[in-house]
Amino acid sequence: MHMADALVAPAVAGVMYACSAATAVCSVKKSELEKEPWKMPVMGVLGAFVFATQMINFTIPGTGASGHLCGGMLLTAVLGPYAAFLSMIGVLLIQCLLFADGGLLALGCNIWNMAFYGCFVGYFLIWRPIVKNGFSRAKIITASILGSVISLQLGAFSVTLETVISGITELPFSLFASTMQPIHLAIGFVEGLITAMVLLFVYEARPQILQGMEEMPLKQGGGRCSFRKVMIIFGMIALLTGGIFSLFASSHPDGLEWSIEKITGVPEVESVEGSVYTDAEHIQETTAVLADYGFRGKDSSFGTSFSGIAGSLAVLGICLAACFGFRYLGRKKKQHEQIG
Amino acid sequence: MNPIQISMEHVTYSYEKSCPILKDITFKANKHECIGLIGANGVGKSTLLKLMVGLNTGYEGQICIEGIPVVKENFPKTREKIGYVFQDADSQLFMSRVYDDLAFAPRNYKLPEPEVEKRVRKALEMVHIEHLKDKQIYKMSGGEKKLASIATILTMMPDVILLDEPSIALDPKNRRTLIHVLNQLNPLKIIASHDLDMILDTCSRVILLSDGKIIRDGDGKEILSDRELLEAHGLELPLCMQGIPD
Amino acid sequence: MSKLDNALCEIYHMDEIAEREQWLNHIHSLIKLVITVCFITVTVSFSKYDLAGVLRMGVYPIVVFIFGELSFRSALKRLKVILPVVCLIGVFNPFFDRQPIMEIGGIMVTAGVVSMLTLMVKGIYSVFASYLLIATTSIEKICYALRLLHVPAVIVTQILLAYRYISLLLEEASRMMQAYSLRAPNQKGVHFKVWGSLVGQLLLKSIDRANEVYESMLLRGYQGEFPYAAKGFFRVRDCVYLGVWFVIFFCLRVMI
Repeated sequence: MHMADALVAPAVAGVMYACSAATAVCSVKKSELEKEPWKMPVMGVLGAFVFATQMINFTIPGTGASGHLCGGMLLTAVLGPYAAFLSMIGVLLIQCLLFADGGLLALGCNIWNMAFYGCFVGYFLIWRPIVKNGFSRAKIITASILGSVISLQLGAFSVTLETVISGITELPFSLFASTMQPIHLAIGFVEGLITAMVLLFVYEARPQILQGMEEMPLKQGGGRCSFRKVMIIFGMIALLTGGIFSLFASSHPDGLEWSIEKITGVPEVESVEGSVYTDAEHIQETTAVLADYGFRGKDSSFGTSFSGIAGSLAVLGICLAACFGFRYLGRKKKQHEQIG
Repeated sequence: MNPIQISMEHVTYSYEKSCPILKDITFKANKHECIGLIGANGVGKSTLLKLMVGLNTGYEGQICIEGIPVVKENFPKTREKIGYVFQDADSQLFMSRVYDDLAFAPRNYKLPEPEVEKRVRKALEMVHIEHLKDKQIYKMSGGEKKLASIATILTMMPDVILLDEPSIALDPKNRRTLIHVLNQLNPLKIIASHDLDMILDTCSRVILLSDGKIIRDGDGKEILSDRELLEAHGLELPLCMQGIPD
Repeated sequence: MSKLDNALCEIYHMDEIAEREQWLNHIHSLIKLVITVCFITVTVSFSKYDLAGVLRMGVYPIVVFIFGELSFRSALKRLKVILPVVCLIGVFNPFFDRQPIMEIGGIMVTAGVVSMLTLMVKGIYSVFASYLLIATTSIEKICYALRLLHVPAVIVTQILLAYRYISLLLEEASRMMQAYSLRAPNQKGVHFKVWGSLVGQLLLKSIDRANEVYESMLLRGYQGEFPYAAKGFFRVRDCVYLGVWFVIFFCLRVMI
């Protein structure tokens, strides 16, 4: 889910940086840390907590696979959206610097894709409406799963959009999106489950730390079985959407099949391209000019030639040799000084 | 100047209304004393210390630091005079480097930077960890962290130092260093611990707490050698007094 | 070794090399940050078929690796996170973009292959650039640079706090996982039934820790703002360093 630097054009990265920065500034104002100074250390330590829990493997029952926690939704439920967003910025920055997960240029995109949706969409559209009239086990599970799935779907969609607009990949938008979304549907579901389990534990052990808890009288939620009930409902929804989706996919073969035809080189399917793709390509064309910053006068899109590449490699080779040479001379000089 | 630095009068405190954890505590502590606060687990030692610095509020009775009542309006004043060393050094040391952590308090009190540096240097000298000045905290050992956490409050030049279980999780050598450092510190010290050997080595006066009440308040050696009294309240004689069993 | 312990090792390792007494480590952090971002931006801004141009940018990592005396191998290790993603996206290009653009030894090379290679080189260079930054600059110094860039104090402080407690919580989590796996020897990950309680415990512990940190801050005069001391001045050599790289980047991008 982390975007790499290579996948974004500078213009896209800049725009996303601007969006994330604006949200961050707004969050700093809105988080009202002057009124709740205790939140400061909680944000920091919970940032570290998210970081640590992301390293834990959760076995998914019935499969050999394992899931991970992303953390946005969990932080939102504990800290509220603004503080959670700021906290996630810290996590993402440290991840990108220390573990090369993401990149400095793509940080703006990553903040948007992972922190913004998880914290704000997750909170305002899902968490708050659902728990508004009191907490219960079922509500917490529903909110966590819905929140994670939806915010991850939006995140995955943004990743697709950003990559395609950047003009990085030849993958058509529709195909790219149609692979990204279902994968992240599953990931989001697992993540939502983990979040739900953690929040349920917190709800039972120390409910007062959940967001929205202070405003309502403490009342005990539903019985033990509600977890199973919610799971069954979710399972049915998943089946239903899966069914509808596959029906839809088979009647509109512009997804995978189209791409296979294209790979095999059959030309006549060109016309099937969705309008989304042409739109995307249009945007891509306009921004690709931006990406180039018009530095070059001559047409450079096919300017690459074998000799050009060879020339570049030669430059690198000379540079390498020169550096080693300088270092060698420097060391020799030092040795001389020491002897002398 | 008032020789009485801490006074507690009829202090009662409870987390939950029904069961008070401290009942009618009254004592006075004078300048330059070193007081050991002993008692079994969960008897309210830490709670008592936290009341003095105002981390727990809503008590009954009166607590005064140098004549100033410990109530919310006075916190800025009283907290400047009193230093509290947490049981867990990692909670006390939240900056990334020793120097920054030590400078946290003086900088908060808006001291000029040269003065901050002077204080940090002095505090490091007092606990003998000058060599750790620029070290990252997460790389330090438990013993080093403990000494550093004591140094963080020495930069405030407090009149009173409260220590919560300072010797916990220290190896014998670090523990000895700690005792040595504590004995060199001049301000009034109140040490809550059930490491009775350390209390014996550092404190002249001991207060025994049990069931939220002060059971005995008096000379350290006398109380710590009273086997029956200690055993009745969930403690044991300090090891050095138990003698070598035959 | 588990992922948690790996992460811990990585943090300690990166810290150690960032602490070395090296001329590069003494360059002002803001300068290094600006150069890094600038390098990545320039590298990424090359058009997707301009393999020659992107390759040339390798001058920066080569020079810094050699003069900074940094291990190339540990930088290679960091590629494993990002490179698969980049490859996965790039690998489709040869299939979709089959326009031949040049001939090497009689073999036709299509535009897709070139754009895939360009993408990979971009990915590798940008990971190297970040590595070169963090290997010569500690997180605190980067935070200081962020402060100079007027990033709100709340965010910077909160990054510093997170960084301070990451190692602690990783150890804590590692201990919990060890205790868990000792009693559940045949499981690869954490069983579904204890997801909540295992992470939940860690969460509650973290919150307790944070509250204690807050108390400790309060007792030392915290009034809602972290005090920072100004440290590190721009020196002539910092500016020269910045200038030299700007000129080189400019030449590599525009002139050749």
